[in-house]
Amino acid sequence: MDEQEIGILRLGLDFSQPLYEQIVEQMRGAIARGEIALGEKIPSVRELAHGLKINPNTVMSAYKELERDGLTETRRGQGTFITSAQEKVDDFRSEWAEQVIDEFLGKMENLGYTVDDIQLVIQRKKEDKE
Amino acid sequence: MDVVVRCQDVKKTFGTRTALQDITVKIPSHQVVGILGPNGSGKSSLFRLILGLNQPDSGEISVLGRKPGWNNNHQIAYLPDRARWYGDHTVEGAFQWGMDLLPGFDASKANELADWMEIDKKMRVDGMSKGQEARLMLIMCLARNVPLIVLDEPFTGIDTPSRERIIDALIDRVTEREQTILISTHEIYEAEGLFDSVFFMNEGRVELSGPAEELRAKHGSMVELVGKMSHGGRGR
Repeated sequence: MDEQEIGILRLGLDFSQPLYEQIVEQMRGAIARGEIALGEKIPSVRELAHGLKINPNTVMSAYKELERDGLTETRRGQGTFITSAQEKVDDFRSEWAEQVIDEFLGKMENLGYTVDDIQLVIQRKKEDKE
Repeated sequence: MDVVVRCQDVKKTFGTRTALQDITVKIPSHQVVGILGPNGSGKSSLFRLILGLNQPDSGEISVLGRKPGWNNNHQIAYLPDRARWYGDHTVEGAFQWGMDLLPGFDASKANELADWMEIDKKMRVDGMSKGQEARLMLIMCLARNVPLIVLDEPFTGIDTPSRERIIDALIDRVTEREQTILISTHEIYEAEGLFDSVFFMNEGRVELSGPAEELRAKHGSMVELVGKMSHGGRGR
């Protein structure tokens, strides 16, 4: 998967997966990790569509999703920007983390793990890393 | 969903050869639609029915809500798979011809596209490379303000730089969009990300269709799907 640099974004698409989700996920990640600075202008729909060689409708729906997340804002006549409010990014990040954990717990419970079992597994992973 | 082309049990044979069998589809409008499949799978035959150049043996077809034919074709810009019309023209001559004869032809749009696709307007068509000529043919279609653009194999036999320019021009056309663009191709090339919807044809049938993103989630990339199809798999 080749990464493309389009303006301030670095994105790489895998054409065997839905494209819209990949754009949303990669941009969410980059914003949450602070790789894209607050208040930065992001490429226009047209620029990103050209850069990635994809349908502008796909880019448009990804941008709408990020705006719903509170991570970007559109200023009329100026384009789309990363939010300048750190707390919006923090809120999104913790909500997202919460979702990922709930999903993880759900799957583990499905396998018959209790929360105590899970804690033990995590403890072991932590020791492996150290 | 608005529909641009509707086929109900459409059959078409040429002599003993069956080109299309029992095609029943609704092609959505205001999208980029890929008609994909190997050579001889029926893509061009379907397009010829859409243009009213051939009539189905049985079944019903409607295009933009009407029966296909000469009195519907002012609404359609068509790039046939074999087209060499403008031999003794310059590019400017071809544009003049377009203004005189092609409904909805927008000369300023054509000039803009020519600059952007790096086509010299003084150039004679019979001195063009295959890629340059393909770009000109595409400009003649994309410069028209009509509800339906039908491109039969626009990428075949064209070098990579020309293909990329064509895809960029299509991306821009979608950004401005009021149109439906039907594109047939047997090789996906760089067009993979361009389609809103795709219809996979094989042996005169539509074997699989749907929004491109849904098909990706279920089956992987369009390139992989075409590969599976042309090796006899049904991709279901």
